[in-house]
Amino acid sequence: MAISSPTQASPFLHCGSNSESDSLAILHLKRDLLIPTVLRSHDDLNEGYSEGKVSNTRFGSFPHSTLIGVPWGSQVRASAVDTGSRGRKGWEGKGKKRKRDEDRQAQDDVAVEEKLKPEIEPKAAVDAATGFVHLLPPTPEIWTASLPHRTQVVYTPDYSYILHRLRARPGTVLIEAGAGSGSFTHAAARAVYNGYPNVNTGDSSTGGSLAKRWGKVWSFEFHEQRAQKLQEEIKQHGLDGIVEVTHRDACKDGFTPNETPASDLEANAVFLDLPAPWLALKNLARASTSSPLSRTTAIHLCTFSPCIEQVQRTITALRVLGWTEIDMVEIAAHRIEVRRERVGLAEEGLRGVNDSPASVDEAVGRLREVEGRSRIFHNEGSEGEEQAAAPGPAQVSKQQRLESIRNALEGRKLFKEGRLIHKAEQELKTHTSYLVFAVLPREWSEEDEKLAQEKWPAKVEVRQEKNGPVGRRQKKKEAKAKAGGNKEFEMAATTI
Amino acid sequence: MKQELVQPYAYVALRLPSDATIVIQVLPNTTISIGKYGAFQANNIVGRPYHLTFEIRDTVTGDGRAQSGLRVVPAAELYADIKDEAPETPTEAEGGNPGAGGDGVEYEIVGQNGEVVMRTNRQILDDPNSQIMTMDEIEAFKAQSTGSGKELIAKILESHSALDQKTAFALAKYTLRKTKKYLRRFAVLPLDVPTLARWILTDKEPMKIMELREEILSLIGSWSNVHCTPSTTSLDGDGVEVKGGRWLVIDETAGLLVASMAEKMAILHPPDEDGLEAECKRSSNHEADTINGHDELEAPTTQDGAAPHLHDPRPRKASRLGTANTITLIHANAQPNLSLLKYFHFDAFNPPKSHPLESHLRTLSWLQLLSPDDDLGYTEPEIASEETIQSWKSGKRSNYYRKRRRWGRIKTIVDETRAGGFDGLIVASVMSPVSILRNTVSLLRGAAQVVIYSPTVESLVELSDYYSTGRRTAFLTNPPDSNLMPTDDFPLDPTLLLAPTIQTARCRSWQVLPGRTHPFMTGRGGSEGYVFTATRVLPAEGKVEARGKFKRRKVDGDMARSSSQQGNPASGGSGTIEVDTT
Repeated sequence: MAISSPTQASPFLHCGSNSESDSLAILHLKRDLLIPTVLRSHDDLNEGYSEGKVSNTRFGSFPHSTLIGVPWGSQVRASAVDTGSRGRKGWEGKGKKRKRDEDRQAQDDVAVEEKLKPEIEPKAAVDAATGFVHLLPPTPEIWTASLPHRTQVVYTPDYSYILHRLRARPGTVLIEAGAGSGSFTHAAARAVYNGYPNVNTGDSSTGGSLAKRWGKVWSFEFHEQRAQKLQEEIKQHGLDGIVEVTHRDACKDGFTPNETPASDLEANAVFLDLPAPWLALKNLARASTSSPLSRTTAIHLCTFSPCIEQVQRTITALRVLGWTEIDMVEIAAHRIEVRRERVGLAEEGLRGVNDSPASVDEAVGRLREVEGRSRIFHNEGSEGEEQAAAPGPAQVSKQQRLESIRNALEGRKLFKEGRLIHKAEQELKTHTSYLVFAVLPREWSEEDEKLAQEKWPAKVEVRQEKNGPVGRRQKKKEAKAKAGGNKEFEMAATTI
Repeated sequence: MKQELVQPYAYVALRLPSDATIVIQVLPNTTISIGKYGAFQANNIVGRPYHLTFEIRDTVTGDGRAQSGLRVVPAAELYADIKDEAPETPTEAEGGNPGAGGDGVEYEIVGQNGEVVMRTNRQILDDPNSQIMTMDEIEAFKAQSTGSGKELIAKILESHSALDQKTAFALAKYTLRKTKKYLRRFAVLPLDVPTLARWILTDKEPMKIMELREEILSLIGSWSNVHCTPSTTSLDGDGVEVKGGRWLVIDETAGLLVASMAEKMAILHPPDEDGLEAECKRSSNHEADTINGHDELEAPTTQDGAAPHLHDPRPRKASRLGTANTITLIHANAQPNLSLLKYFHFDAFNPPKSHPLESHLRTLSWLQLLSPDDDLGYTEPEIASEETIQSWKSGKRSNYYRKRRRWGRIKTIVDETRAGGFDGLIVASVMSPVSILRNTVSLLRGAAQVVIYSPTVESLVELSDYYSTGRRTAFLTNPPDSNLMPTDDFPLDPTLLLAPTIQTARCRSWQVLPGRTHPFMTGRGGSEGYVFTATRVLPAEGKVEARGKFKRRKVDGDMARSSSQQGNPASGGSGTIEVDTT
């Protein structure tokens, strides 16, 4: 895509039609198995693959040469990559081994970013016989599902609702304290984005003579390492200029970014994911000169706390500090599994089915059969052969029956058999956190009120008993007043 | 961002003490009635900030006339009641007082051994006559009083004969009930998409918006990845225009979905409202004067912004349509139903030119999409020569240009939509989602998000089943002739959507008061609301074999009990087809 400054454009916001090198991409293996990787055509680190940088997954190896320049959403075949005999130079010291030991569980799912000596031309990748992935551009939802967890993550249902209630829209300036793993940060950046501040847009429809208000996320994190890591991610994801990460304890030291005075922030939305949000609230008072809040707008606030005690203290503090429209909710979200359930004797011996009788008739049929067999068994001793031929159809052994069911499987369309059912996913998140919302209205002084009264004088209601000619203006005014329905007022007025 | 001050002619939401919301248009110089709570003059809220709470009080002006004035209620006063009942700070200070626990619960009776007993309603006899004041008396008192209603509430409480027997909880509830009924207060809220959605769902007609709850609406917004794509070149400039940020919508929620998307794309609010600081300072008293002084001045509402461009006989540039950051709406009837956009001063039949939606929202019908040649609007009107045009009367001439313009617009929209390449598809429709996807999936670019809302789960379950792993496997192993699609077995091509997922969310509200924190006792029932999400993908050419760790399940005794495993979760993987090999 032709963006005026392609170096900046974030793949989260402008992903273009094809994948590009040096941008973040997601390898989609399964619904819950997504591997983020930065596409590189060449790399200076030598990991010994002759194809260049390779992502290894449980579904095969994917040299990045096969991933760059293809349309997003493409299904990409795995390549036959020699992962065994490559040189191990440069392997040590990258911290990867340690990581592997720590995280043995996900060992084969981690995209091992292997590199090639720059002087060797990458070998063309050869398709492997099996295996594929889908190549997707990153979105905050995918990032939330695939990001490296550093803290508890704010998941999609929660952050969607929070951003909705915070009125986070293009142009909003949002303060986030407790950035954590950055899932909320990415979603907030998408919500407030309305252009990169230093790109000069010639958009006549929004500019005007006044400076445009750029959407921005001011992110604070008191854990130094996490702040650093997030800063790196933001840079890598092209969100510089939209997100500004500061390592600071917002409760103690307030909301002052590194290079900007707090009073320049003019924020109108605040999200606090802190252990003690009530301590940070005092730094969000309008009165102080270093207040990061906008003076001309209402401020929407949300705090995210897992415990009810935190909520109570927060709300008490909010009431004292004059926040209004205080509201506490929790979000319960779940995914739904859809599957086909097959029940019946005809499924006997098959996997993943319930092979008990599907109906009373089936049960009775089976009982009769068993009954018949036992009758034969009991009668065998006394009357022998003549009885055996008598009862109904030829007896089939269980083995024969299972055999024939297995053989019939070939011709069956299992995907449309059975009953279509749905149920909640196996592992539910029954509680994430309590969300407290509040609004701080814009300051409104006596003088402001006076000015407004002068500008919009509330007129004394004109009584109806007016005789003589009535002007057009008068008529219209009356009609309007009637439309507004002033019955109550008049009733109240006449009683005085 | 919306303006922070109430503008004349703006639609605003008023929240009443009863927690009901009403939506009104603020027409200057009129009186606004809020039912039993009274009435006030519109001019008393115009130019004031949103989110303030006002109190209605009747005042008498110098010349002896009655006037209902408003008073801004400070936040401290709003919480006065709560603090009265919240002995938190004092108890913390008193510390050793056994009568009050730190948890804010009031223990009022101390038993014989000094243990704390909570007051209960055990002794109370239910008596409907415990309130001495009659309805007539209350009405009479109401008629005389000029205040906010607080005196009345105090009087009602006073007249309750058994008030002292009530537990703290019951008293608080009783006070709250009376407050909701008689306190003459209201808060002015900006009518933005969240407020509008909540108002229609709880106070107006939930069916009109397919019972779309806020938490689901926000979920749709996230999963569809709708966001602003600022154009980097001027729309009518010479530069190359950026394409991107094009979303396809099927909206049968009367425009709520479109409004919600437009808000996320920064095209819902007219540009002069958009992102400007200190708007109030710029707009001088001039505006107020014109409205106050000249009644001829028409309100900038949708009803009357019509006239000028219809009578403009000059040919106009056909493509004022933006190519980036657009919403394309497909509608089932001849005209789209976008009635809720009126609250944002946009009338789909007669779009005001200053509104960003005019150039960023395009609508077409299913007929125009699927079979444009059958649609009259798509057929080109005859081209008349310049002389012929000049010889016509002005009425005929303008009619000619209007027809040409209309056709030009329709043709641009239809051709562009049929060319596809959309970044996402969002559906809230009563039509079968299968039929919608059959005709729209091909219009999506790779990695586009598909999001379908349904108030009930059944249609989405059916849809998921058509994309199930089992069906996809069958499709891949034995692909049907593409000319015969859709077949009975494969109503949709199951390889085109990745990771189909159904999800739902529900928001539970809590009451948080000192010592009385619990979820609200009642809530809204009705449709739960479900969202289907998936990603459009481009399958590789030729046969693709899956690889993976084929799960080898233990074949032991409890095989029979693992009843439901064979049916694959609708989700399924892309990288592997989870075949059970035994």
